[in-house]
Amino acid sequence: MLTYTLRRLLILIPMLLFLSFLIYLGLELTPGDAVSYMISPERYATMDPAELEAVREALGLSDPFLIRYVKWLGGVIKGDFGYSLQSGVPIKDIVFDRLPATLELSAGAILISTIFGIFFGTISALKRGSIGDNALTLAGMLGVSVPRFIFGLLAILLFTFHLKWLPVGGRLRPGYEGFMDRLPHLIMPTLVLSSTLIAGVMRYSRASMLDAMNRDFMKTARSKGLPEWRVNFVHGLRVSLIPVIVLIAFRLPILLGGTVIIEQVFQWPGIGNEFIGAVRSRNYPIVMMIAFFTTFAVLFVSFLIDLFTALLDPRVKLD
Amino acid sequence: MNGTKKKITRLEKKFDRILMREDTGLIKKKKGSRAFRKLMSNRLAVAGIIIVSVILLAAVFAPLICRYDPLKLDLRNKLQKPSIVHLLGTDQLGRDIFARIVYGGRVSILVGMGSALTSAVVGVAIGAYTGYKGGLLDNIMLRLSEIVMAFPQIILVLLLVTIMGQGLRNLIIIFTLTGWGGIYRMTRAQMLSLREEEYVQALRAFGLNSFAIAYKHMLPNAVGPIVVNITLSTAMFILYEAALSFLGLGVPLNISTWGNIVNIAQDLRYLQFFWWLWVPGAIVISLFVLGVNFIGDGLRDSADPMQQG
Repeated sequence: MLTYTLRRLLILIPMLLFLSFLIYLGLELTPGDAVSYMISPERYATMDPAELEAVREALGLSDPFLIRYVKWLGGVIKGDFGYSLQSGVPIKDIVFDRLPATLELSAGAILISTIFGIFFGTISALKRGSIGDNALTLAGMLGVSVPRFIFGLLAILLFTFHLKWLPVGGRLRPGYEGFMDRLPHLIMPTLVLSSTLIAGVMRYSRASMLDAMNRDFMKTARSKGLPEWRVNFVHGLRVSLIPVIVLIAFRLPILLGGTVIIEQVFQWPGIGNEFIGAVRSRNYPIVMMIAFFTTFAVLFVSFLIDLFTALLDPRVKLD
Repeated sequence: MNGTKKKITRLEKKFDRILMREDTGLIKKKKGSRAFRKLMSNRLAVAGIIIVSVILLAAVFAPLICRYDPLKLDLRNKLQKPSIVHLLGTDQLGRDIFARIVYGGRVSILVGMGSALTSAVVGVAIGAYTGYKGGLLDNIMLRLSEIVMAFPQIILVLLLVTIMGQGLRNLIIIFTLTGWGGIYRMTRAQMLSLREEEYVQALRAFGLNSFAIAYKHMLPNAVGPIVVNITLSTAMFILYEAALSFLGLGVPLNISTWGNIVNIAQDLRYLQFFWWLWVPGAIVISLFVLGVNFIGDGLRDSADPMQQG
């Protein structure tokens, strides 16, 4: 296990370095004075050209490219992510300010899609070929074919304007702070974000359950005289769940990508919303850093999943 | 003994009768590939083919079925409800919505299919050669694709939009840059499994060069999954175009695309009171993608008998 972990780490580290190099290359190639996002804007505004030149020298902007990259990387590791071009707020503050909202949304979507996806998938497999199975399969196809933002728009039209049950968007009304006050705002974005994920999870868990149902241990359980529900849900489901859980974790990029659009539809103040805003206003440092962090998160999580899968299934290590 | 003998002769008679009928032209021989017949017996796939062809034909013959120019402004008749004059009504600038959807299909489908084809060309060209050759180049390309695929795709797409700017051509380039990874990995995997086949070893023994072996002799055997992948990625790229244009970051707003039509719904006033401005566009996107996905799934089932469920 230790050698496997080390080997995976040896693959992960060069990839992260290459990724950071690409991001830095992007930062260098995009228009704009590099000084403007490396020092705080109050200082930038009050400096005359000669002083600016001195700062440039001090920051090492006249160094060769590779040395600048190494210095930048050192800063990032220490938590210095640079400054936003427009507002001048440190990018670190923006990210940490927006992160909780996105995590809340994603956690809700993962929870809902896992529960409903596995439930529908298992039902579908147990009743294979029935009307219910066909209807669920069709609903799954709709789930992956209808764009999520359209689900979002339809949900707003129905639940906000016609039924007047839920607020149109945002995360909090001014003056309200508890989780229960946030809950009505959370419902629609979470459900809409889950829609596509449910379809995927349902597909996987149906296939996985069908696979489990054909195994010998199911016949053994049945021949012991166990009731049918116990055979299916205790023996079958437990085995079918392992690959599904691993696959859910692998869908993190889809989840993160989904939040970008859903947050925009519902004006949810998360990372995705900030990202779109930065893309619109050509705020390059923010765009680059958010892209860097999401990808970093994806690479890191898939590294953890690899380790986890290797723990569960010893054969993986031999690959 | 007697019984079996009788049975065989009866069966042979039946075959003779069928052959005779075929000779006289009473029934047709089964034509086409097995995969194609299997596809046509899949009800969802046939429904997909019908949906997609109707929308595709409408887009191709747009000038014949639209009475209005999709770009012509008519501010006096803006925000008209659907009627005989304007089948689906008019938008906030008085443009005919039916014409916008039909003409918008041209751009949306072009972006979707164009990007799927270009990323397939890139992915297959790299995957076929490096998959067969292996070695350092293969390793480098594999790592590169891992990096590209680690980015949540929409984030990488938006990052490139920030750098390269909006526009139709840029969008196709960006989709290709971000989308070649999947088909590259698949082609490479196919080549790895074909590499050890005896005919490949024979070709190598003849001294044929690697390019000819990889592209001319091995690639045709991997074509089934590639076609399935192109179909499914067409659906994906149409969804991406729609999402980007909805955000106002895809094709410039003055060109009609399906995403640009739905873009208006970001304004809550239009979303609530003028549903006909965006609902038809939303339905057409969903229907088209659904149809393409049906075809893709049908193709997968008919091309690969192993993958059914």
